[in-house]
Formats: sequence, C-alpha cells, structure tokens
Amino acid sequence: MILPGLLYFIVFKYMPMGGLVIAFQDYQPFLGITGSEWVGFKHFIRLFTEPTFMMLLRNTLILFAMNIVLFFPLPIIVALMLNELRNRHLKNWIQTIVYIPHFMSWVIIVSITYVFLTVDGGVINELIASLGGKKISFLTSPEWLRTIYIGQIIWKELGWSTIIYLAAITVVDPQLYEAAEMDGAARLRKTWHVTLPAIRPVIITLLILKIGSTLDLGFEHMYLLLNSLNREVAEIFDTYIYTAGLKNGQLSFSTTVGLFKGVVGLILVMASNRLAKRMGEDGVY
Amino acid sequence: MTKRWVSLFASVTLLTTVLSGCGGDKETAKNAAVADETKPLEITWLNILHTASPPTDTIKKLLEEYTNTKLTFNWVPDASKEERITTALASGELADIVTLTMMTNSSVRSSLKSGLFWDVGPYIEDYDNLAKIAPEIRAAASIEGVLYGVPFQKNLARSGLIFRKDWLDKLGLPVPATLDEVYETARAFTEDDPDGNGIDDTTGFGDRSDLRYSSFKTLSSYFGTPNGWKVDDSGKFTPEFDTPEYLETMNFSKKLYENGYLAQDFAVTAKTDQQQQFAQGKTGIYTGMVDISSLRTLAQDLQKGLELVPVNKISNGDGQYHIWSEGSGVGGLMAFPKSEVKTEAELKRLLQFVNDLIDEEAFMLMTGGIEGTHYEYDENGAYKILNTELWQADVQPFSSSRPSEIAYTLKDANPEKQLANELIRENDKFAVLDPTVPLDSATNNEQGTELAKIITDATFKYIMGQATEADFKKAVQTWKDSGGTKITEEYEAAYKLTQK
Repeated sequence: MILPGLLYFIVFKYMPMGGLVIAFQDYQPFLGITGSEWVGFKHFIRLFTEPTFMMLLRNTLILFAMNIVLFFPLPIIVALMLNELRNRHLKNWIQTIVYIPHFMSWVIIVSITYVFLTVDGGVINELIASLGGKKISFLTSPEWLRTIYIGQIIWKELGWSTIIYLAAITVVDPQLYEAAEMDGAARLRKTWHVTLPAIRPVIITLLILKIGSTLDLGFEHMYLLLNSLNREVAEIFDTYIYTAGLKNGQLSFSTTVGLFKGVVGLILVMASNRLAKRMGEDGVY
Repeated sequence: MTKRWVSLFASVTLLTTVLSGCGGDKETAKNAAVADETKPLEITWLNILHTASPPTDTIKKLLEEYTNTKLTFNWVPDASKEERITTALASGELADIVTLTMMTNSSVRSSLKSGLFWDVGPYIEDYDNLAKIAPEIRAAASIEGVLYGVPFQKNLARSGLIFRKDWLDKLGLPVPATLDEVYETARAFTEDDPDGNGIDDTTGFGDRSDLRYSSFKTLSSYFGTPNGWKVDDSGKFTPEFDTPEYLETMNFSKKLYENGYLAQDFAVTAKTDQQQQFAQGKTGIYTGMVDISSLRTLAQDLQKGLELVPVNKISNGDGQYHIWSEGSGVGGLMAFPKSEVKTEAELKRLLQFVNDLIDEEAFMLMTGGIEGTHYEYDENGAYKILNTELWQADVQPFSSSRPSEIAYTLKDANPEKQLANELIRENDKFAVLDPTVPLDSATNNEQGTELAKIITDATFKYIMGQATEADFKKAVQTWKDSGGTKITEEYEAAYKLTQK
C-alpha cells in the first residue's frame, strides 16, 4: 500500500530534482538538457559576484528574522488566550473571524492595503489629512515596506496558525491542571507552568520547520508589494528568481538561485535540529 | 485517513497518464486534415487576450466557416503574458500558431533565434495579402534578416494625450499645443477646481506604474528624446536615458509631481485604476488615444457633460512634432513552432489561414462583428457599434488578433474616436523609430530586461524626488558597467552590417 505514495514522491518530488542540473548548463529549451552546453559554476560565480546578491541576502534575512521574532510567538499567545475563554460560543465565533483572512488570496489582501494606504484618496491618508497631518506615501517609501509586509502576514495568518497550538492544548492531561489548582495556582500560573511546557515540543517542531523555509518568504506576497521605489528593501530571492527566470527566460541562472536557496534552507534545518537535540528536545528527526 | 490520501494520489497520477495519452489522436487527425484540403483544418492558437474574458463562439464559428478551419483558442491574459508565454516557450507547450507580442523580451528573442519557429520569409510572396506587407515592416519584424513569423501590422505610432474638453472650456483654456500649455493645464486642472464642486479633489495628470505605455515616454517624445537609442552619423549609439532630452522630461515630470499636478501614487497605480480615476473625474489628462472610447464608456453614468479631446501634436516650443513608434509598426509575430507544425504543407495551410484573416470579410468579422447585429454603417457611411455590450462579449477580444489593423480604414461614427483614429494615422508623419528594432544584441537578449530595471527604478526615484541628478547619472554608469556598454557595442556592430 506504500507504493502509490512512493510513486507520488518519485514522480513529483524526486524526478524534477534532476532538472537541477541545468544550473550547470546554458540551458536552451529547444536543445533540452542533453543538448545544452555545460558551463560548470559559471552561474554560481555570477550569482555570488553580482552586486544584487548582498541586497537579496540582506532583505531575505531581515524579513525572515522579522517573521521569527515578530510573527512566530503571536499565534502561541493568541492560542493561550483563546484557551482561557470559557464561553464556548464566543470562542468559536472569535476563531471563525480570525481564520477568515487566511482564505483570501494575497492579491486581495494587497489590493485592500492599496485602497487603505494610497496617497490618492486612500482611507488612512484621508484620515491623516483630515486631522491636519501630512499624507504619508506608505506604498512607495522603502521605510514602510517591512512594516506593511509583516502587518499583512499577521493579519492574514495569525488566526490560522493558532489551530495547531489549540489542538496541542486540548490533549494536555486535565489532571495536571487539577493538581496545579490543588497547589493553589491561579490562571496565569497554570498557563505558565502547565500549558506552555506541555506544548513546548510542538513549538520547537514548528520553529525548526519554519527555519527550514527561511528563504521562502512567499513570492506572490512580495511580488505584489514590490515597485521601483522600494526595490532595495523588497527584492528577495523569490521575486528575483521570478523576474530573472520566468520573465527574462534565464532558466539556468534562476535554477542556480533556487538551488542556493534550497541548500541554505537544508543547512539551517540540520543546524537548528541539532541545537534542539542538544537542548534536550526531540527535534524533527 | 492515510489510505484515502494515497489512493487519491494514485488516481491523480493515473488520470494524468490517461489525459496525456489523448494528445496523440489529435495529432493524427490534424495531419489527415492537411492531406485532405477540403476538410476543415484543425488549428490551435496560443493568443493574447486583451479583454477581461474570452469571446463567445459567435464570431469564431463564422471565421471557421470563412477560412475552412476548426479553431481552438488558448487565451493568455495580457497581464500574465510574460510568464505564460515564456513558460510555454521553455516547456515546449505550444500551439500551431503562437502570438508573440513582446519582441524585445529576452526569452522571446532567444527562442526565436534558437530555431524554434519556421522561417516564413521564403513563403510570404505566395499569398496575396501577405505579399502586401511593406518591406520596412518585414525588415523591422526580422531578426538578423530572418522572418520568424507573420508580423502583426499596426499603425506606426499610436500615442497621444486625451484631455477633458469640458474642463478646458470651463477654465477658458485652449487645447494644449505646447509642453508649457500641457503643464499649465495640469496645474489648472489641479488648482482651479475644474469640476466646479468647490472641493479640492482633482489632479491634473493621471498616470500609472509604467514608463513606456503611460505618460513618460510620450512626453519624452515631445521633448525630442530619441526612441530607445540615438544613432549619430558615424554610427555611434547612445541610449535614450543618456540624452539631455530625457533629463528634461524627468524634470518636467518631477515638477508636475512635486506640485501635486501628477497623481501622487502613480508609481504603484495599475492601468485599470488609472482609467477609473479618470472616469470618476479625479484626473483630467490621460495618455493613450486608443483608449478614448473605453474611457467614455467607463465614465458614462459618472460624469455629466464629459467631453474628450485627443491631442497628438505637442511641440516643445520649436513647432516640431515627434512621437515614439512601438516596434516600427510591428505588433509582434504570429509564429509557427516546428514542434507543432511538422511539415511544409502544414505551414502553407496555416499561412493561407492567416492570409484569409486579412480579407475584408474576415477583417470586418474581427473588427465589428456581424453587420446588423453588432455594427452598422450610418447614412454617412460611418461605422457604428450597435450594442456595445454584445460587441464586447462577441467581437472585442478578436480585434487585437487581427493580423493587420491597417488593411482597411473605417470611418467611425463616434466623432471622438474618429478624431483619435485620424490622429493616429497622422502620427505616421512624425513617428520616431527605434533603430534597434531589427538589430540584435546577445547581451541585451540575456540581461537587457534586468538592466533596464536599473534605469526604470532610477527614473521613478528621480521624478518622485528620491534621487538627485547625480544619483541618476550614477545609475546610468551602473547600467553601462553591468553590461550596457557591451550592448551598445553590439548594436553598433550590428548596425554597421545593415548599413553596407
């Protein structure tokens, strides 16, 4: 019974990896992999020596750090708070509301942001103007890009990310709470000393997985936010691969960038997994 | 649970195999049809869709009847053509006819040069309509002298400005004829309350995040900037952004922007938003004369007393007129991939089909639809669309697929549209051609689009006051150092060969 699953991985995951060899070729679609010229590390040298490389790396790492520091803890906090709600109807209602943005596409979310933030009659700017302030060009200034980016992620994914923590919390042994209560623990104490330690393995696992996709910041999202004026802080590996590869047809070069991204991700997963184990946790493998 | 997923994957895999198996039969059917001339030929066409949704079957059926074919369209929305067409080229998932509009795109050029498509040059003289394609058009559509498809014939230059005539009249302003007057109009449209509602809610110039098809390139023509590249008598090439005229244009736009006469968020505005702003009476100047009737349609119930005037002749004071030409009258190619079109006989049959589309009957089907249903000629012999909505659904998507837009001239019953059409034809007289259209540069094919970003970004920043002239000059230098100099040299060398 394992065969179809195995087949799936072979056909859709492992076979396409063979295509990575075009990173070492000057790939021409018409000639195919067998007919294209081998060029060794030419594309890698170009990637590492191009002035854009440092910009891409910096932008990607900063946004990743913001993702981990600002976004990652939020669903845990919200899950703990939701867990404390005793009114079940209210809890369900809140959960439904916070899940909804997850089902909207980035196009919609970015368009809504545009309507709110544009200088030419945007809601927020009109508000600022009516209060006597000076309009802010949110969408075209590099300083605002990161704030908008992380704000959109929080708005879209916060609720959805709580699901797994809420699920983890439900399996905590009720006897532990009863015992804590006997010892005179109040609500906050119980959360701190019972709930949080109980879901710690889940948190660690998710953190490691998240670190693994370091350089995957979400192409679609950033591509929609990117413009000529914020490129220096907004261009990341994903958007670069898209413009260089798909739009300009530099298939070999963009494969190189993608391969680099993948390798960095792999190294980071292995490192963080080892770190987790050294700290006495289970890790992911 | 796991079992269910596994079986789902298995069935998906199976289904894919079954589906891909079907392809073969179609192929055989097509070849058979070629052999038998009387049977309709099955044609697949990877085409660009310039409207929101694909056309209904009404016109398609009539076209099939007229050309004795069976058409299957594979529509690619204009907005996503870059990635769809380049992926199609890379993966070889093509059709019998492929519409290639982005002739300057690196990946399109390199696949044309790699021999993916038939060279149609030797065949074109055999078809009456195709033989009429002017030699300049053929030259402009060729790469290194080889014609890799039938060129779409367009007007040489279509750009121009549209002004709110009712606003001009209200403020007592003339229709602008010089750049100073354009500036003054933008100012007045912003500051003098042209809609008379007593609220400061208008901006003169609308614009969008595009330097080429929106106002910038048109204005730069008025300043006398060369189109793409300047070539001097000794054959030396200078990119347009390294000329004083380009800088003048940037200063003009910068001044408009600083004073608030240009939409403040133009750098992140999409075309549809720009049109909406105009239709809602927020802006009064629009670039692109061809859009005149769609602007009127959009503004129908929103703006009372809306009057529009298209303008093509704006001088920078010296009374000379210039306007940039897109692709020197070539709107792209209808190319025939060798992977789909395997034999010469098949190619000839397809060329016959393209030739038939230029016949007056097919041209009218693709332009106006069915006489009496979609359009009619009024007592003056002017062409008039009867039912805009029906025309949009049945006909409009075909109008940009016409192999030739210039084969027949229609008199439009809508005076604004008719004027715009006349002005576009008049543009032929002062069109500025891009000298690199028929030339090829390997570096440009490989990195051109990437390098162009350096200049585009710097131009936007300069206009918005985030970069100084020194910053811009530095960007130009970066462009040169990262490959621009090589591109220049390659063009100069290619140009020399054509001059002999």
